[in-house]
Amino acid sequence: MKKKNNVKSIIQALIVDLLFWVYILGCLSYLSNNWFEFKVEYRYIALIALVLTLLFFLLGDSIGRKIFYKSKKTFKKWFKSIWGWLIVISLVITFVVGWNLVEVNPYKFFTKFKNAGGITSGIFNPSIVGYKLTENSFEELRENDVPLIILEKLEYIKNKSYTTKKVFLKDLEKKLNENELINYKSSILKYAQKNSNMLNKALNALAETIFLALLATIFAIPFAFILSFFAARNLMPKTFIGNSVYLVIRTIATIFRSIEAIVWAIIFSVWVGIGPFAGMLALMIHSIAALTKLYSEQIENIDPGPVEAIKATGASTLQTWVFAVVPQIISPYLAFTIYRWDINVRMATIVGFVGGGGIGLLLLQQQQLLRWHNVGLIIWLIAAVVWTMDMVSAKVRAKLAEM
Amino acid sequence: MKNILEIKNLHKIYLGGIHAIKGIDLSVKEGEFLILLGLSGSGKSTFLRCLNRLIEPTSGEIIFSGQNVERAGGKSLRNIRRQIGMIFQQFNLIKNISALTNVLTGKLGYVSLIHSLGFSRIKNDVNLAEQNLKRVGLIDFKMKKIRNLSGGQQQRVAIARALMQNPRLILADEPVASLDPATADSVMRYLGELNKKDNITVICSLHFLSLARKYGSRVIALKDGEIVFDGSPREIDEKKFKDIYGQEAEEVEIR
Repeated sequence: MKKKNNVKSIIQALIVDLLFWVYILGCLSYLSNNWFEFKVEYRYIALIALVLTLLFFLLGDSIGRKIFYKSKKTFKKWFKSIWGWLIVISLVITFVVGWNLVEVNPYKFFTKFKNAGGITSGIFNPSIVGYKLTENSFEELRENDVPLIILEKLEYIKNKSYTTKKVFLKDLEKKLNENELINYKSSILKYAQKNSNMLNKALNALAETIFLALLATIFAIPFAFILSFFAARNLMPKTFIGNSVYLVIRTIATIFRSIEAIVWAIIFSVWVGIGPFAGMLALMIHSIAALTKLYSEQIENIDPGPVEAIKATGASTLQTWVFAVVPQIISPYLAFTIYRWDINVRMATIVGFVGGGGIGLLLLQQQQLLRWHNVGLIIWLIAAVVWTMDMVSAKVRAKLAEM
Repeated sequence: MKNILEIKNLHKIYLGGIHAIKGIDLSVKEGEFLILLGLSGSGKSTFLRCLNRLIEPTSGEIIFSGQNVERAGGKSLRNIRRQIGMIFQQFNLIKNISALTNVLTGKLGYVSLIHSLGFSRIKNDVNLAEQNLKRVGLIDFKMKKIRNLSGGQQQRVAIARALMQNPRLILADEPVASLDPATADSVMRYLGELNKKDNITVICSLHFLSLARKYGSRVIALKDGEIVFDGSPREIDEKKFKDIYGQEAEEVEIR
């Protein structure tokens, strides 16, 4: 018996050591390739690792021996033994490789801030009010006794839309001299059409996102509600069938939940085409899985007393669920559902980036067109909605908890 | 009088190997008020729950008014359960719905799911539930949520729920253990009244000997899953009480 154990722990120790050396040598060869363009073939790595493993094993002091097959030497303090220093070396190498792989570059972080100037100024000057000199504006300016010379000078920015006042004024300054500016700036600003197309567009897209999230949540509720009963350990009979149903539903829910909504959105945007419907389907699938888990855990946490009492009255299984389980879970279910809607609104933005429609798609478009003032506007709108949803859902959930 | 309940060689062994009930033989006559005494862990709760199969007995025979309980399944088990009311130490009511609805759930064994979904709109059922609430003196509280009622009131709602079943037998698992002494006596008085007026057999586990003497017509004492005493409550003097509780208590303290 003892001999068998010995063989087993020797093998375990050897495997750990071999994996350790393969990892260390792999890291070293990556670095040598990166810095000196010197490639080491895999078979040499394997061979050297094997040799080192055997060498340190025979020396009686290595990580594998420390864990599985202790010798006298492994009982020494870490800084007096080989295994301790092997761990230190491996940590250092891991850090160096990590630094290289992630391309950490503090210099860039501190010197290239001006690259973000566009988006930063966009965030601080969102295009809430837009400026545009339309045919109407010209008409009105003429009626208000603005001389023709000025109007002719303005011709070149006719129908051009500006996202902020600052940019609009800059263009005015190019053609008009100082005197003209002082005299006519206020009336030009007054009659330039002031509603920003982007604000309308963004609000529409935002509504799309909120409703998309709402529908995804609503459609997920019935599925998750029914599935949750079969995914609750305390409701499933402790028979083979009961256990299998529980396991299958729980496993599928876990798998579906671990696939991010963004991946589902990619799948569905190919399936049903880019747009809010794809986004809704993605969020729905993810919500079903997440809610099934949350709901069923809620069922597992209910007070078993009423269930026992209702069973004792001679109620059927379904009646027991309806009368003893449902009343206990209804308000936490509502709370979870509202919370989920809240999460879905946030996720819907991200999902939009990969073809799920709504505000995310708009944000992506504006970002690619480098319209930073529009991007700024969209970011503020998203923040406002997320903040509001967060607050409202917290309030509602607090009220539900009292019920 | 006729036997309402006959138990032969009842055993319960839990999955972990704990032998909770070790061969209990017992006959209960119709109209008896049977008190179960015994320390916590002596098997009282397990025994009561085996009688209506909330816990599956391992072996033995249970006959409830001619029907075989341990072999019943599905419909016939429902049929047996609905004739046996049950009252619990923790009341086991649904806390966030009204007293009236809780009482109505006593009727579940008699009706279909569809019927029960419309309970509050079915006049006969509601009337019966209100009558039962009146019997326990809580008609003014019918629309109150259970969580807003006191412990004694909750236990009385639980009695009304059991009455709703029109039961021939009531199993009470330490019904007064979480109540103060005055409330405990009033709850026991309701059980006593049901036993006398409605001729409902009661099996009730208790810790107070005074209440056992006052309401019980027969006492059974359990110790380690076996019956160690069976007789009239008057036969239990201080010495017998110590035999049931005292020596055990010392053992418990050592543990």
